[in-house]
Amino acid sequence: MRDRHRIELRWRDGRTETVHGTEDESVLDAAERAGVGLPFGCRTGACATCTGRMIEGEIEHARPPRGLKREFEQGGYVLLCIARARTDCRIEVGSDVQTDLVTNPWK
Amino acid sequence: MSDTESSESEAHEQHEHHDVEGPGYATPQAAIEQAEREQIAYVPSLYVGTDVDAPDFLSVVDINPDSNTYCEVIDRVEMPNKGDELHHFGWNACSSSCHVEGLERRHLVVPGQRSSRLHIIDTKDRESPEIVKVIEPEEVYEYDLSAPHTVHCIPDGEILVSMLGNKDGDLPGGFLELNDDFEIEGRWDPPGEIEMNYDFWYQPRHNVMVSSEWAAPKTYYPGFGLDDVEAGNYGHKLHVWDWTDRTVEQTLDLGEEGMIPLEVRFLHSPEAVHGYVGAALSSNVFHFYEREKEWFAEKVIDVEPREHEDWDMPVPGLITDLLVSMDDRYLFFSNWLHGDVRMYDVSDPANPRLADQLWAGGLFGPRHPTGEDDRPVIAGPQMLQLSIDGERLYWTTSLFSTWDNQFYPEEAERGSVMLKADVNPRKGTMTLDEDFLVDFGEMPNGPARAHEIRWPDGDCTSDVWQ
Repeated sequence: MRDRHRIELRWRDGRTETVHGTEDESVLDAAERAGVGLPFGCRTGACATCTGRMIEGEIEHARPPRGLKREFEQGGYVLLCIARARTDCRIEVGSDVQTDLVTNPWK
Repeated sequence: MSDTESSESEAHEQHEHHDVEGPGYATPQAAIEQAEREQIAYVPSLYVGTDVDAPDFLSVVDINPDSNTYCEVIDRVEMPNKGDELHHFGWNACSSSCHVEGLERRHLVVPGQRSSRLHIIDTKDRESPEIVKVIEPEEVYEYDLSAPHTVHCIPDGEILVSMLGNKDGDLPGGFLELNDDFEIEGRWDPPGEIEMNYDFWYQPRHNVMVSSEWAAPKTYYPGFGLDDVEAGNYGHKLHVWDWTDRTVEQTLDLGEEGMIPLEVRFLHSPEAVHGYVGAALSSNVFHFYEREKEWFAEKVIDVEPREHEDWDMPVPGLITDLLVSMDDRYLFFSNWLHGDVRMYDVSDPANPRLADQLWAGGLFGPRHPTGEDDRPVIAGPQMLQLSIDGERLYWTTSLFSTWDNQFYPEEAERGSVMLKADVNPRKGTMTLDEDFLVDFGEMPNGPARAHEIRWPDGDCTSDVWQ
């Protein structure tokens, strides 16, 4: 059993939930184990439905986050279906985090 | 048009139907004569990408005007998992398996576009269908495929599904074949025949299949980006396959005017060597056809972009769906951004003639098309379905969860609608039915998006004839 880390999930409406995740499981899996629902799609890092934004702490993606453009990755966005906590974390979650990344390109 | 007729083999001259026991109808005209009026619609409905913590579901919609529950969702088949993005779906069998005795059009194959999970739904009880089998994503990944899109029943009771990516959500895509027990038969195509994939339609009498291109799942899943267009990450080609050899014989590059060719619709007549594809981004319709064993594609309809006060550039129509009436007389297509449906006379397939146009929702259509006291219609017309007799056109308004969020963020908050127009095929006219509105915003778990539409007895985009 690798280290367990405290992961605080924050929605933009002010709701927060704290779950605990090991270094071998994704943040999404840790949340589901605790009965906390987060948006997701492919669960392989290709679709970005599960996008979150790091406020504090560190995660490591278990495989390349193909659904996340490089500039977003550098901006602190992470894919929770393949993100594993490496320290205690505070992460912004909810479907509107993903919508940050896709605006109308013609407006 | 003598140059459009291909010679038939003797087998097809002998294609008789005096003892048919298989599913479907002997000919497209037989479908028009024999099909009962649609009373139930199946519509994939979804929560993926919202904060509604519930699985997607298949809606059973009552569209029988004599029913007490007309325009209501009378049953919801919930998926066993969340996060699927139900999108397109199809039957286990259609008129192309007309000689397979005992085969029924009974099971729907309902893929999760994001999850790569395939659900088999038994519609023996039409108003209360049940999931009877689930093919898990891991089984699909074994064939280095993901992102299932179009489901077509192919001859002999087999099922073909276009797959838009490899197991990593990257290119190449391909095709997955299921047998009549809903087991994965294998990958249908030799890997490497195509890179991008999307929709397909086959025409067995001419030994041809035509497939189109969207992009790699990792490109379109997160949303639409102009940088991806500039980088060449979106498709602009049609692939013409040898149906029996499963190889690409010709690739037709539609170029700048054919960006993102989506739905492929052959005419229904088994003799026809004509079809249409809508290039969504370029907002053009291409006519593809065969002449002397060679296939061609030509732009035949060009939707002009329109100025909008809130936009920095003119708004493209965004042709996201099109279909051909069962009698091959009319082509209908939707401009999801503009907010209109168009009806073209295609009796001369190379020269479509605009017959009528109708506006509802979208950026330029009325926000309350069914009446000021009714709920607003956010997005424009998207997935279309036509009654088999060609007299009623229905549509829903959601394109794809992430793309909806970019162009119509309200679609997630308010949910989709299903609307209907009455069509007069003799006069070439459409009239919005102001008494018809199915509100997917009023679902028990919260507002849902709604996508493709199918009738239990087949429809204008399900059936192929040998």
